[in-house]
Amino acid sequence: MKELIDRVFLLNRATGRFEDADLYHGLDSTNLAHIEGRWRPLFELRRREAKASLQTLAEVNAEDAHWEWGKKALAALNDPFLFDFFVLECGGSTQAIMMTRKGGQDCFSRHPEHQRVPLIYVEFLATAPWNRPKLVAEPTYKGAGRALVGTAVSLSLEEEFGGRIGLHSLPGAEVFYRDAIGMTDLGADSEGVHKGLRYFELSSSDAATFLSVQH
Amino acid sequence: MKRTMTLNLSDAEMSVLETMCEEKGLSKTALVRQALRLYKSVDDRLARGEKVFVESADKSEKVELMVL
Repeated sequence: MKELIDRVFLLNRATGRFEDADLYHGLDSTNLAHIEGRWRPLFELRRREAKASLQTLAEVNAEDAHWEWGKKALAALNDPFLFDFFVLECGGSTQAIMMTRKGGQDCFSRHPEHQRVPLIYVEFLATAPWNRPKLVAEPTYKGAGRALVGTAVSLSLEEEFGGRIGLHSLPGAEVFYRDAIGMTDLGADSEGVHKGLRYFELSSSDAATFLSVQH
Repeated sequence: MKRTMTLNLSDAEMSVLETMCEEKGLSKTALVRQALRLYKSVDDRLARGEKVFVESADKSEKVELMVL
């Protein structure tokens, strides 16, 4: 079950033109079919190529290839009180998907600007493999990941969290969150389920800056 | 769809609620909503047989969190 909540624009890198993209709250079987039938084969192909050429999955931007979105969706649908799902569709395909948490563990700020205040925690965020530099030679759409980060910020504002969001990044995505989005790198967790992953946060003031920039 | 309820609190309870709202920068509704989410999140873990602990800053003391 999903509901259209907004229309955003993605840059088609091939044509140089912006295209309408539909942003949905929730997801349905069509999105999961896209991921299993369209995303996964491309991920698998690149994973095999990387292995053959002794490259890491981070080097080919495919560290999340093993994520099982069907299981994640089921968990979220069973607990809408804590979790939300968002998908971005454009050109007849699912271009990006995100699962967020709005309460409980991980939903408290570590940022020195406002420690322990609530935030939206981005559990998982992924863009379609054909949109990823390094994974394909000529990525299709630009802006899908940023659009979903913006959606998490909007959810944070709606929940009165001041636009604050937090997440643990896979190593290959750290540059994106730090440099492209402007999140603060608060270092790697030394224990717990995210051990070894770096934690990033967008503070209230950074969120305001993020939203003020024309994308 | 959102539904409205009336919440009756003592002066002491209201004082704590208002202080926390001020500290966290949240409205009363948002703070109660977050408290409920945290409560449910912890309760779900306990219902699965997991335990929740609170550790002192110097890690010398660790106590199990019990909830209703």
